Amino acid sequence: MEIIKAFPIQALHGLVYGMLLFLVASGLTLIFGMMGVLNFAHGAFYMLGAYFSFSILVYTGNFWLSLVVSPILVGLLSILMERYLLRKIHRFGHVHQLLLTFGVAYIIEEMVKWIWGNEPLPVKIPQFLTGSLSFLGIIYPKYRLFILLVSFVVFVILFLILFRTRAGIIVMAAVHNADMVNALGINVPLVFTLLFGVGGALAGLAGVIGGPYLITHPGMAATIIVDLFVVIVVGGLGSLGGALLASFLIGELQSFGVLFFPQLALVLEFLLMAVVLIIKPEGLLGEKE
Amino acid sequence: MRRLPFYIAVVVVALILIFLPHLLSEYRLNMVIRMLIYSLFAVSYNLLLGQGGLLSFGHAAYFGMGAYSNILMLKHWALPLPLSVFLGGVAGALLGLLFGIFVVRMRGVPFALLTLAFNQLIYAVAEKWRTVTGGEDGIAAMRAAVGLPGIGRLDLFPTSNWYLFVLLVVALSLLGCWYFTQTPFGKVNLYMRENEERTKFLGYNTYLSRLLVYCISTFFAGLAGALASGFEEYVGTTFINLDKSTEVLMMTFIGGTGSFFGPVLGASFLIYVNDLLSTLTERWSLIQGVIFIILVMYMPEGLSGIYLQLKRMVLHRAAKWRKTA
Repeated sequence: MEIIKAFPIQALHGLVYGMLLFLVASGLTLIFGMMGVLNFAHGAFYMLGAYFSFSILVYTGNFWLSLVVSPILVGLLSILMERYLLRKIHRFGHVHQLLLTFGVAYIIEEMVKWIWGNEPLPVKIPQFLTGSLSFLGIIYPKYRLFILLVSFVVFVILFLILFRTRAGIIVMAAVHNADMVNALGINVPLVFTLLFGVGGALAGLAGVIGGPYLITHPGMAATIIVDLFVVIVVGGLGSLGGALLASFLIGELQSFGVLFFPQLALVLEFLLMAVVLIIKPEGLLGEKE
Repeated sequence: MRRLPFYIAVVVVALILIFLPHLLSEYRLNMVIRMLIYSLFAVSYNLLLGQGGLLSFGHAAYFGMGAYSNILMLKHWALPLPLSVFLGGVAGALLGLLFGIFVVRMRGVPFALLTLAFNQLIYAVAEKWRTVTGGEDGIAAMRAAVGLPGIGRLDLFPTSNWYLFVLLVVALSLLGCWYFTQTPFGKVNLYMRENEERTKFLGYNTYLSRLLVYCISTFFAGLAGALASGFEEYVGTTFINLDKSTEVLMMTFIGGTGSFFGPVLGASFLIYVNDLLSTLTERWSLIQGVIFIILVMYMPEGLSGIYLQLKRMVLHRAAKWRKTA
């Protein structure tokens, strides 16, 4: 009976992590779909969001400020990387670009260790977000509900932009066939740079709200990049809907995995990945090559 | 065609390596052992990255597999070390076969993604399956001396003996890898890198070929891992985590993927500089990352590429000079 009672709570836990994962994965998968670039540094951008937020909170104490400023800073860094590093080696191919983003991720991780130290940092959350709410007989921490709310709002805005505006249609079209969109007179490299910025900012935002929940420490980039890669493989390379589905699957799997098979929890998501690869190698919603 | 000076150089290097225990302090000798082991690891990795054009973020899985199986066999079955090291390589290759079935279907970026995920899978197993792997504490086993019937006693515990054993195994393995790259099948590996469609069109089964290349590479990675665990007389999750995978990527790429001995250079260079600088600065990793980025941006052929470029330049000049003279 105890386990049954824990069901809704665990489902919520999984949803919270799934939403966070999707915030980071959306940028990653759109970038991949558009230019074939897998950005290894995406996890590092997420981590930077958390660390920037920590410092802003230490100096100003204003949570809302950090919620706005940190993602913008991360987005700018992301644009700089695309503009001044990635673009220069475009002609060497995608594997080379992956190597470069890996190098950037490596450097960011070392810088973070240098500046903020190796230890996990205590990130303060605002007073009104501490404590719990109770509804429908469930008691749930306010902060996690806040994560859910923020990521849901961003999620809705993202989908409205992507499917209801001209800019979104251009991005989706470029994901489908970048050469054709370029030939139609749209500056695809510019779109790509901006997408890189938005993707980085989304990762940074996930870091800001996820940092206090998932612990701000120098290993958080490596942790999330593994989950992100699994999400992208399971969902299908370059598929936004697939990333959404896979994020929820991974979130719930981890959450319920801890409940039912604590020993196996870490392995479950990879088993899911292996099963998907056997049945549908291109991913759940991926396009066949 | 090799000339006489080449053979003389080989003999001299071999002699120096064999007599190294008498020339170096124990501390330095330990460093050379590490260089040898990681050279083998990096060369096995380069069969994929340089020769096959496959970027893997998960080669530590097989290194770790070799390391764990070596220590487990030493501890539970008390096998003679040469045998358990060899079986470590076999264990690496078997895991390579299992994962390879999935990963070699892909190339390029998806391949990198999958290898990383599979590495993390095996890492999670190593961390959680405490009864076998000892979890985060790892397991220790001695390099005990064994009596070989009819031959005598084999004692690999003293560093100098262990060094000679590692030297022998690594030298034979490198020779094996080099021979592989010269065989027709080794050339198929290159064809697949250059143009998979045409290779298929020539009648090669590229899936099976790549799977086999993957198994060969993972065999040598497992061998290197077994040697590394024998060296430390210990195995833990640091042998199999993602940091180990990125380490070998760094070594191989910085050394240069374009030549057979580039990875040897990279592994030796990084281990030496790491030893030199780690007492001076804690920020060596950062410098290493910056070197990596600079090489990726401006010298994709790595350090051995600089040598090759200089050689080309000198030869070019010499040819010009001879023409005018």
